[in-house]
Amino acid sequence: MNTSQSSWNRTAADTFAVLARWLLGAVFLYMGLNKALHPVEFLKLVRQYDLVQSSLLLNSIAAALPWFEIFCGLLLLAGVAVRGTAVMLIVMLVPFTVLVFRRALAIQSALAIPFCAVKFDCGCGNGEVFICRKLLENFFFIVSSGWLLAGYGRNLCVRHTLMSCAAKTNPTGSAALPD
Amino acid sequence: MNEVVLTGKKCLLPAVGLLTLLPDRVKDNAIQSMAPGRWLAVKKVFLEAALVAVIGALFAFAANRVSPRGLALTRNYFPADINRPVPVATGAGSPSDVANTNPPASSPAQLLAVRLKEQGLQWVDGRQAAQLFHDPRFKQGSIAFIDARDELHYREGHIPGACEFDPYHPEKYFATVLPVCQAAEQIVLYCNGGDCDDSESAAITLRDVGIANQKLFIYTGGITEWTTNGLPVEIGGRNSGNLRSTNK
Repeated sequence: MNTSQSSWNRTAADTFAVLARWLLGAVFLYMGLNKALHPVEFLKLVRQYDLVQSSLLLNSIAAALPWFEIFCGLLLLAGVAVRGTAVMLIVMLVPFTVLVFRRALAIQSALAIPFCAVKFDCGCGNGEVFICRKLLENFFFIVSSGWLLAGYGRNLCVRHTLMSCAAKTNPTGSAALPD
Repeated sequence: MNEVVLTGKKCLLPAVGLLTLLPDRVKDNAIQSMAPGRWLAVKKVFLEAALVAVIGALFAFAANRVSPRGLALTRNYFPADINRPVPVATGAGSPSDVANTNPPASSPAQLLAVRLKEQGLQWVDGRQAAQLFHDPRFKQGSIAFIDARDELHYREGHIPGACEFDPYHPEKYFATVLPVCQAAEQIVLYCNGGDCDDSESAAITLRDVGIANQKLFIYTGGITEWTTNGLPVEIGGRNSGNLRSTNK
């Protein structure tokens, strides 16, 4: 009974993880395409963050980021290098979230409005959004990426892991960082 | 449920393992606190992430290069960001009834005025822009209006007779805009108004290709103020004749 319950839990978790992988992939693909189709608009939005002074660096960020997101989205949808891609999503999402949060604080203090009433185009690829919703969304994306990084969502993958190493199975059952 | 344990060090590629970049002491502690199989798995994930990063970056720059909408990496798309003060012209070609005076203190308009002054640019307000629009010299080509928004917004509605000039793709428009600018004595550039600085970028781009600075005037209110004032807009291409009046 316990074994079948555990197996059911694992199946359910895997199913949800696959759905989360597809959702993340679709979101990154959609947002990346939105930016890649309007690169100048995205460039202007990136510029508002005052991240870099050099126009070469600014252009490089605005030129590469949308396509990189598309690339990651495609990898997740197809199920290729899922955990490596999840690391890259976390590496992108955490600083983006911090930047968006800081910008929202600046807007809030300039307009003297409640924090959750702050609405602006953060350059995330879906136009103007309320900051609280955006932060929640990013939190969900980070958690989902962490879930994929932990090794879930490997069903229906073209190639979940790129590097093939010699491996043997250990029937002990503990599954931290499954490969 | 099975745990997969990596054996041996066959898959360790020290040159690309990101964790090898850590200081030795930190690395040793991390390694000692982990089971060998787990350490290898972590290392493999980081190796995979590094591969995704490298291949993704190559893909991204290649796609940008191939895309017809791609950005030119070496171009300065915001020339207005660089302070290149040019004395504001007050001589011939810059009529005193058009050049603006100081706006009220402590207003957004004042900040804009300071910014334009730093760029050596002049500006006109809504009343002056309307005056220039109704001036007979506009029909004769001595006054030109330049719309510095993108093609989509231009086609949705622009000041009648205004030329399209997207400063982010200037090469597309030079052939049509430069003769108009060279013939004109006064050139009024506008974008959306408010925070929009595309008209400044357009003015600086035109100045950089030899259009005299004293001809260039920024209409600070832009198309937003124009339509708010109930002035007509033209839909589609330049001189399409498809005019639409805007409600006040």
